[in-house]
Amino acid sequence: MFRKQSLFAVAAGLALALASTSGHAAGKIKIGFLPGVVDPFYQVMQLGVEAAAKDLGIDVVTQVPSTWGVAVQTPILDSMIARGDLNYIITAPTDKDQMVGPLKAAADAGIKVITVDTFLGNGDYVNGAVKFPLSYIGSDNTEGGRISARALAKAIGGEGVVYINSTNPNVSSVEGREKGFKEVMERDFPKIKALGPDYNLDDPNKATQQTAAVLEREPKLGGVFGTNVFSAQGAGAAVVNGGLAGHVQVVAYDATKLAIELMNKGVVTMVLAQKPFDMGYMAVQFAAADAAGVTSLPRRVETGFAIITKDNVKDPAIARFIYQVPGK
Amino acid sequence: MIDPRSRITLLAGTRPSTLRTSAQRFGLLLSRIWAWLFLGLMVLFFVVAVPLVSDGAVNFLTIRNTQNILVAIIPVLLLGLGQTFVIIAAGIDLSVGWVMSLASVLSALALRWAFDGGAPLFPSVLIGLVAGVGGAAAVGFVNGVIISKLKVPAFIVTLGTSFIVRGVAYLMSENTTVIGLPAGLRAYGNDALIYYVRGEGGGLYFLNRPEVSGELLRRMDPILPYPVILTACVVVCAMFLLRRTQFGRHTYAIGGSMEAAERTGIPVDRHVIKLYILSASTAGIAGFLSTLRFTAGSAVIGDPLLLSSIAAVIIGGVSLFGGAGTVIGTVIGALIIAVLTTGLVMLNVEAFWQFIVVGTVVIVAVLIDQSRDLITGRQRRSTAK
Repeated sequence: MFRKQSLFAVAAGLALALASTSGHAAGKIKIGFLPGVVDPFYQVMQLGVEAAAKDLGIDVVTQVPSTWGVAVQTPILDSMIARGDLNYIITAPTDKDQMVGPLKAAADAGIKVITVDTFLGNGDYVNGAVKFPLSYIGSDNTEGGRISARALAKAIGGEGVVYINSTNPNVSSVEGREKGFKEVMERDFPKIKALGPDYNLDDPNKATQQTAAVLEREPKLGGVFGTNVFSAQGAGAAVVNGGLAGHVQVVAYDATKLAIELMNKGVVTMVLAQKPFDMGYMAVQFAAADAAGVTSLPRRVETGFAIITKDNVKDPAIARFIYQVPGK
Repeated sequence: MIDPRSRITLLAGTRPSTLRTSAQRFGLLLSRIWAWLFLGLMVLFFVVAVPLVSDGAVNFLTIRNTQNILVAIIPVLLLGLGQTFVIIAAGIDLSVGWVMSLASVLSALALRWAFDGGAPLFPSVLIGLVAGVGGAAAVGFVNGVIISKLKVPAFIVTLGTSFIVRGVAYLMSENTTVIGLPAGLRAYGNDALIYYVRGEGGGLYFLNRPEVSGELLRRMDPILPYPVILTACVVVCAMFLLRRTQFGRHTYAIGGSMEAAERTGIPVDRHVIKLYILSASTAGIAGFLSTLRFTAGSAVIGDPLLLSSIAAVIIGGVSLFGGAGTVIGTVIGALIIAVLTTGLVMLNVEAFWQFIVVGTVVIVAVLIDQSRDLITGRQRRSTAK
């Protein structure tokens, strides 16, 4: 290691000036919230983050990327790190491999990372390759995929062709859903053939096109699994446009108002609601607990699902899981 | 064709410049340096506003943030560099965003192939560079040949190839992210020439990332990350190429008037092919660097960057009609965009305002470019065309 002592003296004045500005206000923490993209799911998560911040008296700085992807998320993350006043970052990494480096830089700068909805590496922060994040708080997406598969299999009578429309590859959340879905179809429903996934890159129009094309190609298609907000919206629209409502069943991951509307029209069989409010609220609580010296925080928390069908959608205990943002 | 006003001044026996009023001269000066001024004012605004909004907790001009801005401009700047040459020559290259993605995938695949085949890390990285930039240059060659030899408008050709390249990048990457690259790669894309550890027990470290942890690690700022140095070298080469070589003079000449350039014996077709190879190559470097930075190839990495890079070129004063523009202007344009993003995040204002400001600045840039012609009595354009 080659060290230049002579230059150290020159830089000392500058260092003093910087040191005075980079210290954290003792006792009070500040959190950065950086979700994946603008969509109803993350908007509800933001409500959770803000509610917890208010309850606990914590400052939160929120930035929402305009489009999904590391090229957009990373510059915002770097700017958040450069602020120098954040103690925690709550984020949904837009790629489980590519975001490891940029988030490690945050950890190196002394900012603790909590991942919500999506994780880094294999999501096992105890034994996996990526260990630096404090915790992962999100859905057990593989289980969500399994639940979706069983619901769709039941709706189409246990045989036929089904199709998966997904958003982006190499994103831990939707990847888990695809995996769980395929696993159940292969193991428990040998008479069902699962096609896809096609990736719509978070564009519902593209999801509509892709689903419409598969509907044309596969006359035996009985069901579609939309792995998130945009997939389910797009797939639902294609089924309605094709005049196939009721004939082709759609299982929608994410309880947007549109998904519920489609369910009321008979296009969507089942809506799997995640709990983004819980994720946001709990992530802030975890940060506060960690700052207070709590050392036994679980490294992985699964927030569970609410399964919404036509039968229970009116029940207030279930309806509260529909993604609603006041004033929107 | 000579502007009538300048003919009158010639008849009167005076040089045009002496006829300009001081207001005209001031206007002309302002039109030349406005982008610098705007950048300066913007930085000044953030330097003052950021500490105010955060009660002194956040500062804009820290070592970390200046380095962060330098890293952030890399992709937009590299996409814009080749584009600067192309637009000066009155062309346009819409394929650069997806060429960057293709280069990212190609360099990742080649690098992984070489490393898994037993090559040491550094040669593997070089193979990745050659594959990424080479693949990109091939796309640029195809663009150039179709535009110059088959006389298809550049807008159409590069739009077409961008779709083709997009498809190829997806197919080659299989699931759009190429992973499984050697772990040591991270250092190439993220480590810096100098490290500065602030405060007690700190110091400056050259060429070696200090093995510090805990509190010292927290106080460590990387200065001049390797990708920034490589990009700076490319910028210097581009400046030299445009200002000091025959290649640069020919580029301006073709942008001024293609027929005139042809008549003076400039091999226009060959030059146009070279320009599109250059444009694709700088995009290729951007793709290669993104592979190093994220230690993975990505078939979507350049997608959101095309329009920002064209905006940077226009803000920098490159005329869409060709014949005018500088490399340093594009650097300023890219800096304006990066400073905006960073500054808004630091102000805790929604970064979406960036789009509104950039859009406004792009239009203002073109208006200023036009007003310059008005001030000078359209001399530049009339002598060029």
